[in-house]
Amino acid sequence: MSILGFQGRRRLRNNAAFALCLFFTAVILAVLAAVTWYLLSIGFSSLTWKFFSEVPSGCTDADVGGMKHAILGTGVLIVLACLGAIPLGMSTGVFLSEYAAGSKLAQSVRFVCDVLAGVPSIVVGVLGYELVVVPLGHFSGWAGALALGFIMVPLVSRTTEEMLRLVPDSYREASYALGATKSRTIVEVVIPAASGSLITGVMLAIARVAGETAPLLFTALGSRLLTLDPRQPFPSLTAQAFVYATGPYEAQRNLAWGAILVLISLILILNGLIRLASRR
Amino acid sequence: MTDAADETPARGAGSRPGDGRRRRFLSPDAAFGWMSRLSACVVLLMLAALLFVLGEAAIPAIRDYGARFLVSSDWRPNELEIPKRDARGKLVFDGGEVVTEKIPPSFGALPVVYGTLISSALALLFAVPLSLGAAIFLVRIAPPRVRGLVSFLVEFLATIPSIAYGVWGLFVLAPLLQDHVEPALQSLLQHLPGFGWLFMDTHGRPLALTGRDMFCGGLILAIMILPIITAISRDVLHAVPRAQIEGALALGATWWESIKVMLAYSRSGLFGAVILGLARAAGETMAVTMVIGNNNQIQPSPFAPAQTMSSLLANEFSEAETVAHRSALVEVALILLLLSLAFNIVARMLFVGSSVQPSRAA
Repeated sequence: MSILGFQGRRRLRNNAAFALCLFFTAVILAVLAAVTWYLLSIGFSSLTWKFFSEVPSGCTDADVGGMKHAILGTGVLIVLACLGAIPLGMSTGVFLSEYAAGSKLAQSVRFVCDVLAGVPSIVVGVLGYELVVVPLGHFSGWAGALALGFIMVPLVSRTTEEMLRLVPDSYREASYALGATKSRTIVEVVIPAASGSLITGVMLAIARVAGETAPLLFTALGSRLLTLDPRQPFPSLTAQAFVYATGPYEAQRNLAWGAILVLISLILILNGLIRLASRR
Repeated sequence: MTDAADETPARGAGSRPGDGRRRRFLSPDAAFGWMSRLSACVVLLMLAALLFVLGEAAIPAIRDYGARFLVSSDWRPNELEIPKRDARGKLVFDGGEVVTEKIPPSFGALPVVYGTLISSALALLFAVPLSLGAAIFLVRIAPPRVRGLVSFLVEFLATIPSIAYGVWGLFVLAPLLQDHVEPALQSLLQHLPGFGWLFMDTHGRPLALTGRDMFCGGLILAIMILPIITAISRDVLHAVPRAQIEGALALGATWWESIKVMLAYSRSGLFGAVILGLARAAGETMAVTMVIGNNNQIQPSPFAPAQTMSSLLANEFSEAETVAHRSALVEVALILLLLSLAFNIVARMLFVGSSVQPSRAA
């Protein structure tokens, strides 16, 4: 090193660090490219019409059937989860932003929301098992919906709070000046003013839980039947993909790749809608 | 739970509307307020319920094993029947038949705690330099349009669900490691002094390289925590005041030396980003379950199959039949929960007073 001298060493270190930053960024992008390339190319080749129109046939060869039951199951689970999580989450968000922004209670709720958002999803699955599966005596769609809803609540309440905070105070003051009560102001002025971004928040939460597998493994469990009855074990794309991917049959593995492509497309579409909504 | 903020409307609207009216027991307006307060309390209860329900269900295991649960590496859900041996280690015979004895089930979480810690540490080892490099690139090198594009791509990595990484890891990454990377590493390192243990199991026999091992688990976890560490460190570095950088440059610092000033200035935020990545890695389930090999033993080699707390739950929970087995699994879940709570709380404390909001960046 001494041949370079002090200044030479500084210059060398500088250039090396610069190159390393470029290289590391390139590595991350290459990993991204490798992951998406395989997911897209293998996924597309296994998507056929049968994938969307048939249920598992029981065969493990070419006649393996499709994933109609799982697509429907994921949809139903998300709707059920939303039915519980959106009112609870939004109402909490309203409390945090409109009623007691600075109070002790609000601070602790905010803290708990942030902490809940970091709880591993498999732990939420254990909660769903103990709360619903044990009392009922068998796996059920309700337990799966409960677990997904549990994951959604902190996400929805924090985004709701932040979006409502962006509504200017002059809106509220104008409403009060016209004699409206606080609740009326919130329902008819503040929430409509933020409606676009509130929907964004909900879609973000849906995009998050649509891909969840771990909380469903021992709540909804999964099923090979086309069912709309949440009292029974319930199918989902993710749980079915897990079973198929870890199984020994080639045809089922292909279905798993297809299921993943469908999931990612769903999540991408939701994210695209979010970008569109937030641009306006 | 009386709070002063309720007396004056929080958003600074003068006097309380509706005050002039005759007070009913509960006006619709007040009912709405109480409803929103109630749901906020429900959110608090959710965390309490999580701790209480898991704690309660884990009681049998806590009572039976106590602190031994954390230090024992025996995980045997079923009774084991083994040939009985006498004091000198000889088999005991009874009329020509080997006498057997039954060992009761036993549960110890050490292998899975070890698996979680080591796989997360490996993930940090791979992910932290890459993420920091990319964050520096985004803040100090990339022109605005490139910055937007690369940020978007990195955040796209975060939206891919865990199960997708699992399938990719199982069918693409693990075979690649098994056929190419691990044999190459083996032929390179095996005969160097001090590296032999990498390819031995606990009995000193050569390992069968399967590609589904701790190393693969660490790699998959690294890919999955890249986006969160990159995004948060990008925001943390972005929040460094310009004067700090300009001051360094004005004193004659090179580009890299000015970066070091930035890194030093924002070290607590960067540390928070790393802890949040660690929390994510420790709780991650599906992808790890599919690539880590699911072996409940402590093996020093990263090329041996292993098991994490979350993969143990994913593998065994729905098939656990005895109370002892199930409550031992719930105790593992409880440990995982407490670990992730601790990581999250520490990380959030590191962001106190900074303008960066980790919940948004993630």
